Amino acid sequence: MHISLDWIQDFVKLPELSPKELGLKFTLTTAEVEDVIQRGAELSKVICVEIKSLKPHPESDKLNLVTFDLGEGKLKEVVCGAPNVAVGLKVPYAPTGVTLPNGMTLEPKKIRGILSDGMLCSEVELGLGEGKSGLMVLENVSPGTPLTTYLGKKVETLLDVDNKSLTHRPDLWGHYGLAREFAASHKLAFKNPFNDQWVKKIESQFNSSTSPVKFEVDENSSCLAYYGLSLDIESMPETPALIKNRLESVGMRSINAVVDISNYVMVELGIPNHIFDRDKITGQLKIEKSHRSQRFKTLDDVERELIESDTIIRDEKSTLVLAGLMGGAHAGVSSETKKLFIEVANWEAPEVRKTSVRLGLRTDSSQRYEKTLDSNLCYRTLLRIVDLLNEHMKVKVIGAPQVYVNEAKRSQKLSLKITQKELNTVIGMTLEKEMIQGIFERLDFEVKESSGEFEVIIPTYRTTKDIYCKADLVEEVGRMIGYDNITPVSPLLPVKPVRLSTAKVLHRKIQDFMVNNASSLQMMTYPLVGPDLLKKALWPKLNEELVLVNALSVEQDRMRPSLIPSALEMAAQNQKHFDEFSFFEIGRSYLGYENERSQLLVGKFSKKKSSFLEVENSVEKLLTSLSLPFQFTGASEKFKNELCHGWTGLHPHEYLNIQMMGKFTGMISTIHPMVLKNFKMKGFLTLAVIDITEFESRELKDKTKYHPISKFPESSCDFTVVVPSETPAASVLSSLSTLKLKELKSKSIVDVFQLNDSQKTVSLRTVFEDSEKTLEAQTIKDLESKIIQTLEKSGFPLKA
Amino acid sequence: MQKLDTLLQEFKEELKIIQKIPDLLNLKAKYLGKQGPLSDVMKNLKDASVEEKKMIGAKANDIKTQIESLVAETMSTIELHEMNEALSKNKIDISLTDSVLEKGLQAAGLHPVTQIQQEIEDIFVSMGFEVLDGPHIEDDYHNFEALNIPATHPARDMQDTFWFADKKHLLRTHTSTIQVRGMKSRKPPFRFVGPGKVFRCERTDASHEMVFHQLEGMMVGENVSIGNLIYFMKTLLTEIFKKEVEVRLRPGFFPFVEPGFELDIKCLICGGKGCSVCKQVGWVELLPCGMVHPNVLKAGGIDPEKYNGFAFGLGLDRLVMMRYGIDDIRHLHSGDLRFNLQFKSY
Repeated sequence: MHISLDWIQDFVKLPELSPKELGLKFTLTTAEVEDVIQRGAELSKVICVEIKSLKPHPESDKLNLVTFDLGEGKLKEVVCGAPNVAVGLKVPYAPTGVTLPNGMTLEPKKIRGILSDGMLCSEVELGLGEGKSGLMVLENVSPGTPLTTYLGKKVETLLDVDNKSLTHRPDLWGHYGLAREFAASHKLAFKNPFNDQWVKKIESQFNSSTSPVKFEVDENSSCLAYYGLSLDIESMPETPALIKNRLESVGMRSINAVVDISNYVMVELGIPNHIFDRDKITGQLKIEKSHRSQRFKTLDDVERELIESDTIIRDEKSTLVLAGLMGGAHAGVSSETKKLFIEVANWEAPEVRKTSVRLGLRTDSSQRYEKTLDSNLCYRTLLRIVDLLNEHMKVKVIGAPQVYVNEAKRSQKLSLKITQKELNTVIGMTLEKEMIQGIFERLDFEVKESSGEFEVIIPTYRTTKDIYCKADLVEEVGRMIGYDNITPVSPLLPVKPVRLSTAKVLHRKIQDFMVNNASSLQMMTYPLVGPDLLKKALWPKLNEELVLVNALSVEQDRMRPSLIPSALEMAAQNQKHFDEFSFFEIGRSYLGYENERSQLLVGKFSKKKSSFLEVENSVEKLLTSLSLPFQFTGASEKFKNELCHGWTGLHPHEYLNIQMMGKFTGMISTIHPMVLKNFKMKGFLTLAVIDITEFESRELKDKTKYHPISKFPESSCDFTVVVPSETPAASVLSSLSTLKLKELKSKSIVDVFQLNDSQKTVSLRTVFEDSEKTLEAQTIKDLESKIIQTLEKSGFPLKA
Repeated sequence: MQKLDTLLQEFKEELKIIQKIPDLLNLKAKYLGKQGPLSDVMKNLKDASVEEKKMIGAKANDIKTQIESLVAETMSTIELHEMNEALSKNKIDISLTDSVLEKGLQAAGLHPVTQIQQEIEDIFVSMGFEVLDGPHIEDDYHNFEALNIPATHPARDMQDTFWFADKKHLLRTHTSTIQVRGMKSRKPPFRFVGPGKVFRCERTDASHEMVFHQLEGMMVGENVSIGNLIYFMKTLLTEIFKKEVEVRLRPGFFPFVEPGFELDIKCLICGGKGCSVCKQVGWVELLPCGMVHPNVLKAGGIDPEKYNGFAFGLGLDRLVMMRYGIDDIRHLHSGDLRFNLQFKSY
């Protein structure tokens, strides 16, 4: 929104501050000023000149070298290509440094070998007209006069404020309200020209004639108030320059004097209104819900689809206005119009908003209505329109305003109480009573103070949405003092220990392990994926139930069912740059509305070889370091692993389930080349996924137990068994798990040797120890034979 | 006697050329062995007088000790030499570290967002704040209603929301949802922060992402003041930027706070003079904050007559970008290791 400081001055005499300083004050007390615009500043640098002589450009047929008088007889020569150039012509000249409306800043430049500094301009180039080519021709002006003086334009200072930052302040959607805000923040007098005397003067034009247009409001419509007045004008004059300029400076186009006045009053008082051509109204007006779907052509010549709940204003023949948004193409005021019907209405904000959002139609009017306006302001708005029409044309009012107001929903004054102590406590500084009272008064609040308690009466235009509780008063006082003036102060609080949550501790332990032990980079991939990726990954679940209705793209239209597809995509990207890399991500997978799972994904890619064992080792060490009980088990036909069930991307051999507390909570697999092929990946990718959700809410337990170090020697013994080649070597070792021998301290594999195509030997080492005594030879012998027996029973005979 | 001195002299001469342990042992045997010259001297002593026996015996023993210590000394010299020789033979090139070898990517490290998030979490934990989180898929109530943003509120336009098909569930647009859950599960006084991912249905470009990170903060108690809020924010920023940071508080409208503020920091690039980073203003908008709206406290089951509090939201991605001068927010979720690599710890 553009705020015109010139317009503000109608209601308050602004202090002698630079526009930047005024903007800063507004930023600190009300809403952020994003930019200070000097409208017409560039135009003021353009001067009127008189062409003195011409000669053709030596290198071009179409260009001329033009010599002109800059004023006071100073001559200058530039290159000019305009067809209408002629000696004696008075034209505008933009010197070097001027930025034209198209954004180009003029610099001296060579045109076909001749240096030209600045340019003679057309209306189009100066943004003053459309379509007319050739130099702008000026009349009755002496050379050297600034173009703005010739045009009767001033440089206007505008403050640009983001609309969103005024969402809560319907009263600031007009310059009158803005001026009150300036007056309050700068502690200046606010001039209200719309006093009782002014009201009486305009009301004196009302008469007892019967209004030619009557209206009826349906209670079920979104109408909160409707004021209608008929009047005739003698003829449509040109729009006065002041109104035209001000409208242009806030970004509105001039249409004709009546429409311009209607818009001017909206931007001045913040209340939208509509003026009809009465000749185009057939019979009575009805304000009601559309009751049916219908097509309606709005002023901007677009056919729009209305639904039954939209409120419309119609006559006996057709729909004329889409309430709160835009009038129809049919009943608008044209330059021929002489019979007017003025409407100043108020509508339910949510209804206007709903229609506006549905149609994608945001207008100056809808933006204001959706902030919740005060019906009490409609009458003043109506009077102001009559006032301005009076001022600029001959007006004959027919009858008096007809009024409908939904009394139940009329905004009321509000009385709030707050003490000086409460204000001081929440703001955190000591404020004097007089200071507080002054702030409230300047904001147009009525205040009564007794023994430190303020009773504040809030005017109706601030109670529609903005102010309704004590906290709102704190804001009013706080912002007027300037939050910046509040001293930071530490609260006085009891000391108590605070620890990171169990989930955070788990995440951090995992992260630290993965970085410092597994040498991996932490990744972050999007929680949103698309069906194409899931299909490419051959992922069995498309998560159709978690598809977004308003996704930005099909690549990211749903929540991911697993971290794996994202990891595949990420690995495919990175294999272009790196031959080998290790990564991990802690992220969420989404299985349903209230079913988000935290997953840890660990991955290693290598162009040369499978990294299954590396990943397996990392996971094994990680889970051990977290003191979480786990077990690696082979692929199971019987039990589903929900983390990857039905996925054909798993490796037939390099695959393990991770079982924790009786459940499959993870898996490790090298990715099947079929899937890698879809991602154009050449090499080996191993991924592990662990669902850590269950463990996030548990305290990680330290399960360390100390045993005194034995004073007696240990005795080790090796066994070599023959097994078929495909037997996992570790299964030989695990066959000894059933053996409960207190002397057996450790067992491990020392060697695996391929005997022939079908057989291999596995050598085990066992270490025996007794913490009480030195083992006797016979005891060791007995232990050895128990081990041999167990091995043989499990089908692992000793090598002969 | 002279013979003994000559003997020692001869031994020393022979020792000079010894380079190997066996030769040394042979030499030792030659002089000190049973058939050796020293033995001979001793054997011949039986014919000598008592005086002579005494003198020559002592001398012979002295020579023997000298020879023995020379042998031991030479022995360790030769051993050391031989060990060093062996070490030289098995020399490795100690310049060939992982960092110079082509072994694929060896780097490890946390994502920059995690790094800054942990840093901020730790700052707040040190000031007595808990760290909470909540679901990404939220419902209308937690994301809007409970935060004083009813269905028809225009503020909903400020946050372009991703909706699911049931029109009830959505992706949280801010971490403020954590406030609601946090308030319901504890009794005042309390204070916590809630970092996490948030989602906005917004076209992406170098400075806009549809998935980004916020850190929500809340403190509720009796007589919490705006001065307290400013204190925590200033402390936080000083800790993050490791220097005194000038802040500015101005009004900002957010339905869940009243009064609401925008906290700006003096541009760290230009020091407030105005540059392209701060759009010539000298200030950079960093975090929205404010005093918790009474309706939000009520929705959280807290009596607004008795308690009040402040809340704030910090954009983590923005901080990461400011700290490292990252030009495009989309790198953060890109999964491109060339990006992550730059934040490696080793």
